[in-house]
Amino acid sequence: MSVYEVDKICWRAQHDPPFREQLRQDPARALADLPLTPEEREALLAGNVARLYQLGAHPYLLGHLSRYGLFGLTRENYGRQMKALLDTPAEQARARLAGRPVGAAEGARAGSAS
Amino acid sequence: MAEIVAGFGVPHTPMFPEQVAREGPQSETAQLYRAVAEHLDAVQPDALVVFDSDHLNTFFFNNLPTFCVGAAACTEGPNDTNARIPHYVVPVAEELARGVYHAGPAHGFDLAVSQEFQVDHSVLVPLHFLTPRMQVPIVPVFINGVAPPLPQARRCYALGQLVRQVVESWPAEQRVAVLASGSFSLEVAGPRVGITDGDWMRTVLRHLGRAETRALLEQATTERMLAAGNVSGELLNWIALLGVIGRRRPVFLEPQMSHGHAYGVWRWD
Repeated sequence: MSVYEVDKICWRAQHDPPFREQLRQDPARALADLPLTPEEREALLAGNVARLYQLGAHPYLLGHLSRYGLFGLTRENYGRQMKALLDTPAEQARARLAGRPVGAAEGARAGSAS
Repeated sequence: MAEIVAGFGVPHTPMFPEQVAREGPQSETAQLYRAVAEHLDAVQPDALVVFDSDHLNTFFFNNLPTFCVGAAACTEGPNDTNARIPHYVVPVAEELARGVYHAGPAHGFDLAVSQEFQVDHSVLVPLHFLTPRMQVPIVPVFINGVAPPLPQARRCYALGQLVRQVVESWPAEQRVAVLASGSFSLEVAGPRVGITDGDWMRTVLRHLGRAETRALLEQATTERMLAAGNVSGELLNWIALLGVIGRRRPVFLEPQMSHGHAYGVWRWD
């Protein structure tokens, strides 16, 4: 699956400081030669982690992007995007298995308190 | 002959070292780790089997094992920047580690091995608190608890039983303890950040406290664990620990409910 390349970019953001610096300086150029689909490239450059998560990118790896402030991400706007996913069918299905289903509004309050 | 002498379970929250350094030894977290450390010191293990779920730092999807034994002379880390701890070099009980690895096929396990690896905060935060001088050689056994498909709970329990059999037939007189690293309900960088699954916490704590191993194995499905948070597969490390020590109640089991984790000690001396 191509999402491997997205995961790899995120992994390198944590473990490859020169690459991280390239991502900071000129993100489009840093990604130019990497085998991404147009959708992945667009989502990365837009900092659309919610879309990348839905495409199957691993959240631990996506989290590196906001920790280093890449693609315009901050801890806050990253968290907001993720919280909004709580109302999606996939996350609702997951929540039904958990002790007490949580919607986006309550999740946002819980997240900001942590 | 070698023997299993104790089991320990602790969290590895990356901010804890900094928080404890700031808040001092009377903080709740400092006291909880110290309580476990005192038991570990009293038991005086010659080696520490560490069941750990790497957070995609040591391993990546280019080569991701379900079960991997770390068998080198030593390891070091952290290889991630999550926790404010020193760079540590940690001795590995290499012969014992190789013994675990080689025992795999006869016990129906197809284990992977790594003879050169570093470790992340999930190994080093516990050791930072429990064995800061890094004086006890470890046998790292990595269990994939983070990237589905996860191994089944009963499979991880059986892995623990393999470790016990290796230790109990080991010719050297060694005191071997077991450490499980990780949380029961935690989400990292996902939609459920900040949400703790109290029901799952209470269920896990009840089954651990009463040594209700079969019930725990039945209920700890991948789906149920990950619904409690995307890091909750770390419970598999505790389940592997149970496989090593057998059906015993802990002498110490204290949760930090808001964090979704607990501290546990199993001793029978």
